[in-house]
Amino acid sequence: MPYVYCDPKLCTGCRACELVCSGVHERVFNPRKARIHVVRREPATDFAIACHQCENPPCAAVCPVGAIRKLRSGLVEVDAARCIGCGACVEACPFGAITVVNGKAVKCDLCGGDPACVKQCMPEALKLATPAQVAAGKR
Amino acid sequence: MAFTYKGYAGKYLRVDLTRGKSVELELPKEWARNYIGGSGIGARILYDEVPPEVGPLSPENLLIFATGPITGTVYPPSGRYCVVMRSPLTGIWGEAHSGGHFGPELKYAGYDLIVIQGRASKPVYLWIDEDRIELRDAEKLWGRNVVETTNMLLEELGDPEVRVACIGQAGENLVRFACIMNDYFRAAGRTGAGAVMGSKNLKAIAVRGSKDVEVANFDRVWELTEDAHARYTGGYWGKASHEALYRFGTENLVTWENEIGRLPTKGHSTGVFDYVDEIGPERFEREFIVHRRACMNCRIQCKKVSRVAQGKYEGTVSEGPEYETVVALGSNCLIRDFPAILRANHLCNLYGMDTISCGGTVSFAMECFERGALSESEIGFPLRWGDGDAMVRLVELIARRKGIGEVLADGVRAAARRMGKGSQRWAIHVKGMEVSGQDGRSHQSVGLTHAVAVRGADHLRSLSSLDELDFKPTIIERYGKAKAKAIGDRLSMKYKGILVKDMEDLYAIVDALITCKYGTMWPPIFYLDDYSKLLPAVTGIEEFARIEEVRAAAERIVNLKRAFNARLGLDRKDDTLPDRFLKEPMPRGPGKGKVVDLKPMLDEYYRERGWDVRTGLQKQDTLERLGLADVAEDLAGHGKLAK
Repeated sequence: MPYVYCDPKLCTGCRACELVCSGVHERVFNPRKARIHVVRREPATDFAIACHQCENPPCAAVCPVGAIRKLRSGLVEVDAARCIGCGACVEACPFGAITVVNGKAVKCDLCGGDPACVKQCMPEALKLATPAQVAAGKR
Repeated sequence: MAFTYKGYAGKYLRVDLTRGKSVELELPKEWARNYIGGSGIGARILYDEVPPEVGPLSPENLLIFATGPITGTVYPPSGRYCVVMRSPLTGIWGEAHSGGHFGPELKYAGYDLIVIQGRASKPVYLWIDEDRIELRDAEKLWGRNVVETTNMLLEELGDPEVRVACIGQAGENLVRFACIMNDYFRAAGRTGAGAVMGSKNLKAIAVRGSKDVEVANFDRVWELTEDAHARYTGGYWGKASHEALYRFGTENLVTWENEIGRLPTKGHSTGVFDYVDEIGPERFEREFIVHRRACMNCRIQCKKVSRVAQGKYEGTVSEGPEYETVVALGSNCLIRDFPAILRANHLCNLYGMDTISCGGTVSFAMECFERGALSESEIGFPLRWGDGDAMVRLVELIARRKGIGEVLADGVRAAARRMGKGSQRWAIHVKGMEVSGQDGRSHQSVGLTHAVAVRGADHLRSLSSLDELDFKPTIIERYGKAKAKAIGDRLSMKYKGILVKDMEDLYAIVDALITCKYGTMWPPIFYLDDYSKLLPAVTGIEEFARIEEVRAAAERIVNLKRAFNARLGLDRKDDTLPDRFLKEPMPRGPGKGKVVDLKPMLDEYYRERGWDVRTGLQKQDTLERLGLADVAEDLAGHGKLAK
């Protein structure tokens, strides 16, 4: 299953992805409502984190109301109607890739397969890639 | 109640440090409509509230942090803010811009501006956590450098995503060209904003916010953003920018400028540096760049993290240096010791000093030493042209105001006045500000730019790359075919008054929005027509869909800043250059034999502006046409309106 992968060698920490993401999903500009987040560590590390669409998603496993499911397509999806905004998924995610916005859990939904953040990543650090592709790129 | 216009937070903060109080106010609608934002709105506030009798370092001087309507939106780049004050370096209009992430965070916290007045009785920092505003004790931070201060604040506030703007020791010591640093290594560099902050006992501002920034027409802004992304990253200019600015940063310019003979070298005595490769972009990339970075939401991405891996300055890790820094601390001091330049750059970052003025001051001191106006015993060591280690030592002395640093920390104009011995001939400044990294003799229009720029010898108010590198299609598009040949000739003074006036208008809008000179200055992609599309979409101010209204706003802003200086007594006699550019012909390179042919350019510029050619003073009808009748009346009261 492909996910939004960030190559830390290329990420410049510009956070365009955060703004594009909050625009696409919320029609406002607010990095704290984005489904992708850039982590900067001084002096020379920048890295964007979005949902890995895990094969065995811990967020889904801990959701007390069954609002998070791994779809047949591979996408890990939050059913906003069921979500109670408890944040159990936030605690379970090892990446910090899921958060609660306006009382509902939100995470990367791959924009239906063509992520807007990837399209506007100037240094091309973001890619839609499967773990196999990421591994191949490292070899 | 929600603010009338979008893009803005609609609120601003007033902080009175003397009384230890802050108040949240609604942004006046007219400020947005007439001055857009950034240093435009800053100009209105400073003109209204800082009369000539208020000295730059007195508590009554204001320190204004301003964002613009696109700050924090998706339209690239949107990570900038500016600082506006009366400058302690020049005594006149002061403004400095910076990128990074601090500006947008202020907007997300719910404020377009912070207007700071007064002086705290002891060191404090301002903590803006959305609606919670606190002035907190900063005794522990005083005496700390920029990195230490930022780290300590992030720890104290317990959140690594808090954004910090602060001063280092240079600001505390009132070094007249101290800057304000944000996000560690981004600098609101010029005109000494850091000294104003230091004089107010304000060590830092920390901000955090989670509010939305909304725009008037989301779909239109989205469409313009996708278009901007494509133009920044693709096509001729996108490719050129990628090869230059993404790869090397502004350091790329070192080679270009040397080729056209305007790389300031040895105290601006020449424009050609024989050892340019030793401080050039290829060496920078090969030996020093370890990571590429960008300010918020940028598509140019010119920032570089550099590291010195060996030798005396091993372990120096910083951001930059920029082109201007490599000139000021490098070629202009005849220095080709790149690690020493990187070290001095880092010291300026840590202490919080403008690298351009600091380097200009070092080269001034070197010339004084070589010509006998400063002795080894006064300095403490020999200060020969080209001695990188001596430069590094001198930068420390300036930041700490120790020894000769006490004199030099006031900038070259004041230092030359104190030192005498004919040293004013080597004080290369305009209106008290050290000259930036250009030379008008081999690029005539930049001579005019340096002479008329509102904050002194400045490249960021009106520098044109169109004639610098003769971009004919763009020149024809903007100024017509008839003038294209003369405008494109960088050695000709012809039509440069028109060119510089137009660039100054464009940058007035750039500095109000606030966006960046990269993408507008070079590559010259975006122009007033683009912002005439963008402004209504972001703000909902429909009048700006007419390009004449955008132009009028630009002229209004330029005139208001000019009026601030006119009221302080400045006129045509101040719009000049050091003799080095007016009387000493360029000795080498493509500009060989040229001096700046200033007078005809200046005459044309004043005519284009609708100002009095003889005095350089503003005229009543010009100001009234721009809706500045109140300013005309005020200037008349001071005897500073053209008769």
